Amino acid sequence: MYGLPWSLIITLVSGAALTGAACGLLGTFVVRLRLSSLGFTMSHAAFAGAALGLALGIEPLTLALVGAILTAAVLGPIAERAKLPADVITGVLFPLTMALGLIFLYLAPGTAMSSSALGLLWGSLFAMTREDLFRLLGLAGTIALTVWLFFKEFQALLFDRKLAEESGVPTRPFYYLILFLTGMTIALALRLVGGLLVFVLLQSPAATAFQFFYDLKKIFFWAALFGVIYAGAGLGLSFAFDLPLGSAIVLISTLGFGLAVWRSPKRRRT
Amino acid sequence: MADSIIELKNVSTVYEGERVPAIRDIDLTIESGEFVAIIGPNGAGKTTLLETINGLLPHTRGQVRVLGQDVARFGTQLRSQIGYVPQEFQFDETTPVLVRDVVLMGRYGRIGLFRRPTAEDYAQVQEALELLGLAELAERPLGKLSGGQQQKVLLARALAKEPKILLLDEPFSHLDCAAREEVAELITRWHRERSLTVLLVLHDLEAIPQSCHRVVLLNGGRIRHDGARERVVRAFTLAHRE
Repeated sequence: MYGLPWSLIITLVSGAALTGAACGLLGTFVVRLRLSSLGFTMSHAAFAGAALGLALGIEPLTLALVGAILTAAVLGPIAERAKLPADVITGVLFPLTMALGLIFLYLAPGTAMSSSALGLLWGSLFAMTREDLFRLLGLAGTIALTVWLFFKEFQALLFDRKLAEESGVPTRPFYYLILFLTGMTIALALRLVGGLLVFVLLQSPAATAFQFFYDLKKIFFWAALFGVIYAGAGLGLSFAFDLPLGSAIVLISTLGFGLAVWRSPKRRRT
Repeated sequence: MADSIIELKNVSTVYEGERVPAIRDIDLTIESGEFVAIIGPNGAGKTTLLETINGLLPHTRGQVRVLGQDVARFGTQLRSQIGYVPQEFQFDETTPVLVRDVVLMGRYGRIGLFRRPTAEDYAQVQEALELLGLAELAERPLGKLSGGQQQKVLLARALAKEPKILLLDEPFSHLDCAAREEVAELITRWHRERSLTVLLVLHDLEAIPQSCHRVVLLNGGRIRHDGARERVVRAFTLAHRE
């Protein structure tokens, strides 16, 4: 690809595929449990954390992780117990996390809109390092193993939380496990997709899979696969037209989801 | 003398954000193998009582013991032995689950963490599906079924659990007359053959199965009458006439 060394191409393609697979798997929970507003806020908190890292000269990824997981730890119980409508959570906290992120970028040494700052916002092809790749590999493996180990419990939770409790499945620890993994995924996907757009990968691949299947095993599998396809195709589009990677992934994901809604057998009458 | 399988002592349950208890000062003892109907007008606290017994709603006062254990401490483990069919359910057309999976999920608490369903689990699921006449719908998406069929699926789910106690909240509400009789007969047979303890919430007095000899009348969150079927039904009818 345009004279890039093979090692870099392999890192980029693998990073995109792993990010897509991890987001696709977790997106199944985000879509079904209607955690969109929570994930949206978490992705911007991760962005604010990374921006703070830039301002303080600390590794942005570390503070992105702190931001996303802290948001999950605070918002999870609020969303669960106070039963706040999703738009209230988003309406109050999205501007706050966005404002904090922009203030931290403004305070970052050098130009506020330096390439690393822009990378946090829009995602960057070249921000991905081999270390990031190994972290993503560990994360995707952990998510896949968790889903495999606790498939029954997750299936019950995704069907109906009250009925899951009724059948003797303790749903709360699994709910918090999902939030924790979502926070981790958002933070690790930040470099590639960017803080403003990372959330699309948590939503579109799973939402696409839900258009085609009723069997949860198939939905998990296809959500991960659609995640890989969207991230990979976004990477290709980004290379081909020199677009920001996050934006290219959003364009592909939206197109894919639109096609899925159009062709969905769940909407066919015959 | 039979053992007490459910014991409520001075129990009150208040919903989150409410000040008035939905049920209050409830003293109720159910013996193993009893078939009890709970009746009362809308808002009497019938559903609250069932969900206090299985611990889905935490009680705010008193003590609830089921199968000899404190529900507040052992609710999750106890619920794997209690079948429950809720009154309210709504599954939209896109609900990503097949009928067979819904019935199997009833056994997940019994199966436990880190274990997969075995051949015996699948056999129980098949038996429950056949008992309710759902075998042909096993691979259909739940959301595509009618309300009555969905109610039968939830009943099959409760039976597949092989419960020691069955809590049924208006289990005939979505069924037509023929299906209602079939299901009532099935519940009666399970109660008789498996010594199952059954608590059945109903608002339609005509629907109380013949084998149910004890009736509890709830009103305003309190137990107003508890005793032989004819006596309690007469009291309820008189109270409604006045």
